[in-house]
Amino acid sequence: MKLSVSVPCVARYAALILIAVVLLTPIYWLIMSSLRPADHIFRFSGSFSLQTMIPMALTLDNYAQALQGSIGRALFNSLFVSVTTVAIGVFVNSLAGFGFAVFDFRFKKALFVLVLLSFMMPFESIVIPLYSMMRAVGWTDTYAALILPEAAGGLIIFLFYQFFRGIPREIYEAARVDGASWWQIYFRMTMPLSGPTIATASLMIFIHQWDAFFWPLVATSSEKLAVIQVAIARNMTLEQANWGAFFASASLAVLVAMVPFFLLQRHYVKIVITNADR
Amino acid sequence: MFRHPWAPFLFLAPAFLGLFVFRFVPIGLSGVGSLFSENLRGDMVFVGWKNYAELFDDPSFWNTLKVTLIFNLIINPFQICCAMGLALLVRRPTRFMDVFRLSFIMPMTVSIALTSIIWSIMLDPTLGPVNSLLRWLGLPTQPFFRSERQALETLMLVATWKGAGYWMIFLLSGLLAIPKEVEDSALIDGATGFRKFISITLPLMKRPLAFVLVADTAANFLLFAPVYIITNGGPNGATQLLMFEAYQAAFAYINHGRSMAISTIILLVVLVIAVLELRLFRPAEEERS
Repeated sequence: MKLSVSVPCVARYAALILIAVVLLTPIYWLIMSSLRPADHIFRFSGSFSLQTMIPMALTLDNYAQALQGSIGRALFNSLFVSVTTVAIGVFVNSLAGFGFAVFDFRFKKALFVLVLLSFMMPFESIVIPLYSMMRAVGWTDTYAALILPEAAGGLIIFLFYQFFRGIPREIYEAARVDGASWWQIYFRMTMPLSGPTIATASLMIFIHQWDAFFWPLVATSSEKLAVIQVAIARNMTLEQANWGAFFASASLAVLVAMVPFFLLQRHYVKIVITNADR
Repeated sequence: MFRHPWAPFLFLAPAFLGLFVFRFVPIGLSGVGSLFSENLRGDMVFVGWKNYAELFDDPSFWNTLKVTLIFNLIINPFQICCAMGLALLVRRPTRFMDVFRLSFIMPMTVSIALTSIIWSIMLDPTLGPVNSLLRWLGLPTQPFFRSERQALETLMLVATWKGAGYWMIFLLSGLLAIPKEVEDSALIDGATGFRKFISITLPLMKRPLAFVLVADTAANFLLFAPVYIITNGGPNGATQLLMFEAYQAAFAYINHGRSMAISTIILLVVLVIAVLELRLFRPAEEERS
């Protein structure tokens, strides 16, 4: 293979590297700062030098300190809320996707339009009225308030619907002849075939809940129920001085989000491609 | 397709219960609640359109609408141009392209709340490394979020840092779906570079571009966290976006009717955007069948 080095090619790679540096530097700076001794964090940032970007001393003290405070509890809350939402969300949305993919029934079109509408109206748009509804029934400041509103979602229903539609109907017919109920078909046949779709749906719900800020901020006021994003933002205003703990907890929040992200990214483009020609 | 008297409805029931209680009821509640106001004793009283009338009489609400409109008119085209640029740059799977694709979508791992906090520190006038880099390069330092003139533009740049890679995914998948022969036929006709992009690639990208435009607009229209965390709407109302105004009405001024009226306006705009999105999908479905 001949290695061709042309001017446009060099220019293209220069642009790629420049953009990557701009996009990655804040993440690098965040994680690097979290590893500095607390009194070094801003020592080199006011005037630019090599030390601004490369730390000379490394420590894990900030992490130890962050986990001692409210951040440990907040990490648990976020994990608990995200994982529970994944479990409920995968179940109810796959059921609905199965219903739409397998059956013909009255009002199917109208109901499906509702599903699509719900996924095109971002959740943020209903946060204020949802809050006043929750307050009226006394559900604010509960885990349920954080979990249940995010469980059923049009996007995940659509994801399952797309996949289930591709399963040949002969399989269902054969199972029906054998006397299987629809529930058994869903639970014993369809779901075990849907590993990649379940994984994708789980990761999408997880990331969405892990990143959630506006709704948890509004729906919970007690520190016990603060999720990680809210806890970090509140610590910023309450104890402005503790930068070490901030950088450590923010880095933890980003690192946790990276795990499913790396697992997901290969699927992601594929999903978008299949959705693009829907 | 199968028919069954009740099975399909049982399968749909749990999800629709969730959608009904947590999506459709609040939407209805918002519309109805916007027609009520709380009197001094704390009772809800029907006041008709009064909440809306008060909103539109309020110069600060007009400022919010103006800021939100300017913000969206600039950030949406800007973000989409960035996303398109990124997608074109990483389109051909040449050397290291996986690494670049991945690094362009890395900002997705930073939540919007953390994006706001990190950038507000990075752009700090005295401690922030961005200004110290500017000083080091001999350039004038910038106030960024502290200045009435720069705050909104800075907000756009920060939101684009997080968003561009995300929208790039959709445009990239659109680009990858274009059959190679179609574009190659343009080469035979002598079209290259920019002309080929305008006359061949862009028309083929109409659908993904339209989708990204509409979905991006909905997302940016609801932007909240950076305003809440960094600027509080300031300086002097320069970043007072609509969603933050709804939040303030509900939680700072505890004016129930006003917050519901703003929410209803937000919902109506988002509904229009959603219907537009729905229409974008329709032809695709019909063309195929």
